[in-house]
Amino acid sequence: MHRLTTLLSGIFLVFLTSWIGLVAYPALQLGKLAPVPDADSGASLPPVYGGEAVAGQHIYASEGCVSCHSQQVRQTSVTRIDIERGWGVRPSVARDYLRDSTAFLGTIRIGQDLSNVGRRLPEAAWHYRHLYAPAAVSEGSVMPSYRYLFTLSKIQGQRSAEALDLSPEAAPPAGYEVLPTADAKNLVAYLLSLKHDYPLPEAGPVKNIPAAVTH
Amino acid sequence: MSAHLFPMHHSEAASGAVDSRVIDDSMRLPVLILFGSALHWLIAAALVSVVLSIELFLPGLLGGISFLSYGRLAPIARDLFLYGWASQAALAAGIWLTARLAGRPLASSPFGGVLQSTLIISATVLWNLAVLLGSLAILAGYSTGVEWLEYPTWASATLFLAFLLIGIWALLLFDRRTNERAEVAQWYLVAGFCSFPWIYGTANLLLTWKPVQASAQGPIQAWFHGSFLSLWLLPVALAALYALIPRILGAHLHRRNLAPLGFWSLLLLGGWSGLGHLIGGPVPAWMTAGGVVSSALFLIPVVIILINLLGIVLHHPEKESQSLSFRFLIFGTYAFLVLGVLSALISWPDISGIVRFTGVTEAETQLWILGAISLPLLGVLYEAIPQLLGRDCWCRTLADLHYWLTVVGFWLLVGVLALEGFFTGLALSDPTVSFLNIASYAYPFYVLEAAANLILLSAAAILGINMTRALAGDYFFPKK
Amino acid sequence: MNHDHPHSPQQDEAACESSTNRPLSPWLVGAFILALFWGGFYLAFNSGGFRQDVYESNAVNWAGGAVVVAAPPDPKVVGKRLYSQNCIVCHQANGMGVPGQFPPLAGSEWVISEGNHADNHLVLLMLNGHQGPMQVKGQSYNNAMPQWKQLTDDQIASLLTYIRSDWGNNAPAIDPAFVTQIRKGDGSQSDPWMQAQLLAVPPVKDPGAPAAK
Repeated sequence: MHRLTTLLSGIFLVFLTSWIGLVAYPALQLGKLAPVPDADSGASLPPVYGGEAVAGQHIYASEGCVSCHSQQVRQTSVTRIDIERGWGVRPSVARDYLRDSTAFLGTIRIGQDLSNVGRRLPEAAWHYRHLYAPAAVSEGSVMPSYRYLFTLSKIQGQRSAEALDLSPEAAPPAGYEVLPTADAKNLVAYLLSLKHDYPLPEAGPVKNIPAAVTH
Repeated sequence: MSAHLFPMHHSEAASGAVDSRVIDDSMRLPVLILFGSALHWLIAAALVSVVLSIELFLPGLLGGISFLSYGRLAPIARDLFLYGWASQAALAAGIWLTARLAGRPLASSPFGGVLQSTLIISATVLWNLAVLLGSLAILAGYSTGVEWLEYPTWASATLFLAFLLIGIWALLLFDRRTNERAEVAQWYLVAGFCSFPWIYGTANLLLTWKPVQASAQGPIQAWFHGSFLSLWLLPVALAALYALIPRILGAHLHRRNLAPLGFWSLLLLGGWSGLGHLIGGPVPAWMTAGGVVSSALFLIPVVIILINLLGIVLHHPEKESQSLSFRFLIFGTYAFLVLGVLSALISWPDISGIVRFTGVTEAETQLWILGAISLPLLGVLYEAIPQLLGRDCWCRTLADLHYWLTVVGFWLLVGVLALEGFFTGLALSDPTVSFLNIASYAYPFYVLEAAANLILLSAAAILGINMTRALAGDYFFPKK
Repeated sequence: MNHDHPHSPQQDEAACESSTNRPLSPWLVGAFILALFWGGFYLAFNSGGFRQDVYESNAVNWAGGAVVVAAPPDPKVVGKRLYSQNCIVCHQANGMGVPGQFPPLAGSEWVISEGNHADNHLVLLMLNGHQGPMQVKGQSYNNAMPQWKQLTDDQIASLLTYIRSDWGNNAPAIDPAFVTQIRKGDGSQSDPWMQAQLLAVPPVKDPGAPAAK
């Protein structure tokens, strides 16, 4: 305790315990988890998601969505409420995050959990409307508007197929339409890919568990 | 005024300890610059926190502006508190305490003082640049998205390097210390300075520089959050408490023989404490169980540390102190007590199931950052600045105002967050209540949080004024 | 020698002995050891055998027993939530409806499949809605019930199971497979039902959930 070397060795050894348990072990074991084949179709689980969703993950990171939203359905031995509330059909496990570059587990739920939002809200149009004007879609929502991910452009002849169908309070002025930028499309593609409803060996059955409604 | 609190040696000449004025002279500029920049970031962080809490109940006010969106400002506020304020204040306090406890000036190596001061000041400049530019990068949309590690790679690498350039002197000073038997505060300082490179380096390497597969990132993130607070920042804060409280009161640590147990158990459990944030999460069951146990057992070092420190106060009620720093130190000790109890409570699985992800989690984080860590560091600031400047420099009125605003603001913030979280969590436990309904009930709490953050901002600003006045000194406020 | 104080060496010795270094309190030590034992036992029983693939802490006991998988949520709980989100506006939280406007569900022969009302009529009613006059518990109603075919089979089954079990109702649960079957056979009808038309459909009883769970 009274020589630097003794103190340092003691500190090193003690630090090593948590480092081994929480850094080395996860990196070497959980970090080496591989996809498993689906019993029915042979496809790989978790499913691979496309390039747009991969780009969308970076938007999710840079916009700081993790500051308000979590992405984990808790184990039922701790609480069943995540599942009963319709935020997932089974608890999340480490393998669910295999395809992500960053695990956005989150620590606070100012907004809802998003781990299964692609299952709960499978329509891209809803997400575009919601990102553009959250308060118009979910009354009383505190989510900030992401209208800077969209462009307001003059309607050229005919309305574009991609234009958002907005409610009157959020609609653009007459003669204008709201179009999603590539960032918005990527982000929504990522959100739609978020479904942890496939079965995994460590994750329990998904049969007979009712689906969720928009909540 | 405790102008010569140190040294502790009854015979300086015999033990070889250098006069404290010489020690202070040797590190005046680096420590003042570190404390000064830390204070700037405290004010900035408090300001961003006010904006954030307003955005929660007035989302339309600044909505649609990309660099003011909640998701970009929230990581900035957090990182400014952690890296801008707390880490720099810990570096400043750590260097000052290490040197004074060691009885050695900064400049006693063969290299001479100028080199060390220059290195520390340059590292400080680098550190502040990294924090500033990293924050601007987050605003511009270059956040990494990993909580508490949002700075881009170049910024986090700069912070790592800058720390090495500053921290190494603390370890060298400890090694060259004049007191044979190291005191408790010195153990904590060594632990703190050793842990930052290990924790920050590992976490960045595996999460942002060369990320490991995402299935492993949950435990590593949790380990980082827990260790950064309990193994880097908290030990420096505890060192401040262990060094200053006995000296200010002129008494001994109470039951000092418990201190080693407290030290080692804190180091052991601190690394595991991050698991408390993963209870029920997508990690093997043993990690959830580990989180419960480590948070509960964390009460062991908490109890020991409280016995050591508050024991003095309770057993020597006749010893009071007019010291400006003392009340912050005791305030910090009480915050540490509340923190320990709250952590243990909310890690119990049934309770965690209700309150995790709510304001209660945030209340615990604020108890850590603003409470157990920042308050003792503020105590060191009040103690160190007059000694470094060699004169009684604080304006008492401003200091009192700062203290009382901090007390009100801090307990208001923690209380409101905890209550909001508790009620929100209870409401969320009923699956028939819609989420948006619950969010609307939280509005009054959001308003109160904004008020609390505003109070804390005023407190920080007042300290800023007091510090400017103290540093400007005789030039602008000549003594009558 | 303890250096945590500013006094002279003689005072040091005396003071050290008297207040700071008394023997450890046995109560404190006992409490710490108890805490450690508790921690050990808790870890032993709640760590899922320290296995990497076990996520539920109650899944594996110390004797290495069988893995218990988390039970699926109660359909009545889910059904109640769906009810409060979708049906409560008209049929009210107490299932009594609004006299003259919206029929009650409590004791309703439509809900508990009494008389000439069968399980499939209830499912068809949910899928397509209803228009025109309707008799419920001897009272006449003439309002429009929207269709709910956008809900999944699981959701409809949970909802119906719930309304058949609350407010004094006590009818058997509706199985999701039954809803699937009825939905498939209902290709022809797309408009909301009229009462006579709906009751003309041959009655089919829900055979109940399959034996294997």
